[in-house]
Amino acid sequence: MNMKSHLKKKGQLHISETIAVLFIFFVLVVFGLIFYFKYTQYALKEEQNQLSTARAIRTTSKVLFLPELACTRGSAEPEDDCIDVMKLRQLNATINRHLQEYYYNMFGYAKISVVKVYPKEPWAVQTEISNNSGNISFNLNVAALGEERWVVYDLPRPINLTKEAYSYSSTYFIVTLRDEAIGGEKIHYGFGYIEVGVYG
Amino acid sequence: MNFSKKAQVEVTFNWIYIAIAGAVILLFFAGIIVKQKIASEQTLDRDVMRIMENIFTAAQISENTKTVIDMGGLRDYVFYFNCEEGVSKYGLEGRSMPVEDQANPIFAPNKIQSSLLITWSVPYKLPFKVIDFLFITSSNTKYFLWGKTPLSQDFSRAISNVSSESKIKVDFNTAEIQDLSEINPGKNFQMRLIDFEGKLKTGDKLPTAVEEKIAYLPPGRVTAVSFHGAGASTSITYFVYENGWKEQNKKPLNVISLGGESDAALYAAIFSGDDSIYQCNMRKAFQRLSYLNEIYGGPELATKGIPGGKLGEIISFYKARPELLMTSECVNYLTEDPNQNVQAALQSHQNSANACLTLFTAGEIPTECTELVSTAVNLREANNNLAERGDCIPLY
Repeated sequence: MNMKSHLKKKGQLHISETIAVLFIFFVLVVFGLIFYFKYTQYALKEEQNQLSTARAIRTTSKVLFLPELACTRGSAEPEDDCIDVMKLRQLNATINRHLQEYYYNMFGYAKISVVKVYPKEPWAVQTEISNNSGNISFNLNVAALGEERWVVYDLPRPINLTKEAYSYSSTYFIVTLRDEAIGGEKIHYGFGYIEVGVYG
Repeated sequence: MNFSKKAQVEVTFNWIYIAIAGAVILLFFAGIIVKQKIASEQTLDRDVMRIMENIFTAAQISENTKTVIDMGGLRDYVFYFNCEEGVSKYGLEGRSMPVEDQANPIFAPNKIQSSLLITWSVPYKLPFKVIDFLFITSSNTKYFLWGKTPLSQDFSRAISNVSSESKIKVDFNTAEIQDLSEINPGKNFQMRLIDFEGKLKTGDKLPTAVEEKIAYLPPGRVTAVSFHGAGASTSITYFVYENGWKEQNKKPLNVISLGGESDAALYAAIFSGDDSIYQCNMRKAFQRLSYLNEIYGGPELATKGIPGGKLGEIISFYKARPELLMTSECVNYLTEDPNQNVQAALQSHQNSANACLTLFTAGEIPTECTELVSTAVNLREANNNLAERGDCIPLY
């Protein structure tokens, strides 16, 4: 009887030991899985960031060489890093008319803007000097002041698709802005930049 | 005695238990390894395709630039290219999801397996720059140039030109031949015969000696493109060699181009794997042309004759500045000249582009598209008048 009870206790000990080993094993496995998934999530975010950056660069390159914006002159090669402002003013409306069927495939979820930074004032200033009975008068017509910004394309990623807020990374590129509708006899060049932001 | 048996059962049970548990644990980790392997292969495929996409984008936007890409470890993989319903697809055969491109025309053989990839970007103008065509080929795709025409001479000159950007001479693996018996594909992956004089016909056979030399090439790797006519009436036919030349397209495809040197539409025909790649990518160019027409002339010029876009802005500019010396002459070239004014020329060009796109079907380039050539010539003339004779703001 004594011997039987001793054996029973040993058996119980064995079972407890096995359960403890299994418990620790599964705890370790769970820890491992949690670590793995956390790492995967982190790696995924990193990859998404890299993808967004690559897409931003790709989109900027595409924008810089868009025939819709390029400064051309007959059959000559287009001017490098130059935007024709007369075409630029038409582009947003054209893109919006064909956004889903065409331009979305080219740019995806992104925002493309062109900003003119120089000249800020003389760009559209006309100074007339008239001499009325010996008095000199100055007539200034200031059509635009400060920075001018044209949003060429803007398609944010729909928020309801994901619970997390989308990321937004942008790249900039300096360009010259050619506007032949100013001045008349001389071609006017300004200076600005393209801002290309992509929604990640 | 009873106890001894019990111990034996316990020991056996323990071993079975350990074996099962061990197997389960082993399977668990083996599963993870397999999954991880598949995932990393997929990641690698995605990375490869992403890099290729970046390379192709960069190659395409750099106008008139030839680039050689070292494929390194990817030399054993087969890249495939196709274009259906206006969407180009390219990727690694039997591997990941392909890259899809609905906007940029990519003209390439159906398959490429090589250690060196060659890309070349040429602008397509009708008459203004519409888009850059990207040609992709490989160092082991052999091109036999058969016949002497202005196009063959222009093409030979163009491929041997040193790229202005990279300053590297690119070897396109071409050979000029006078007779079909000179064909020797060597150990190349595939060969393309370019028949500049339009001599090939369905059923024609290569000389027996040549057939023996090409015997090692699998079906579909011996192809030809044949040019008929010249200038605006040029058309092309694609052939594949299957115990004799066999036409791939039912009707000859019209080439829509203004001619002259570096004719992107004709070069595109040379690099396209088959008629569907050529025709599908040309459609992309016409689509883009219609959008550019809107930038230049506005959306209502074609339908209602109301100038908008850049043209509208130029007209408004001159109407608002009557004091400028050239205003009357510029307005004349823009809207009034009965022989050739920009507004009328652009309107015709828009109408032709719209008609071409409406009637575009898989398998042929409609004859309506050929009208684009004459309307583009008229627009070019009107724009030249504006810029050179009138010293006015040109349309493009």
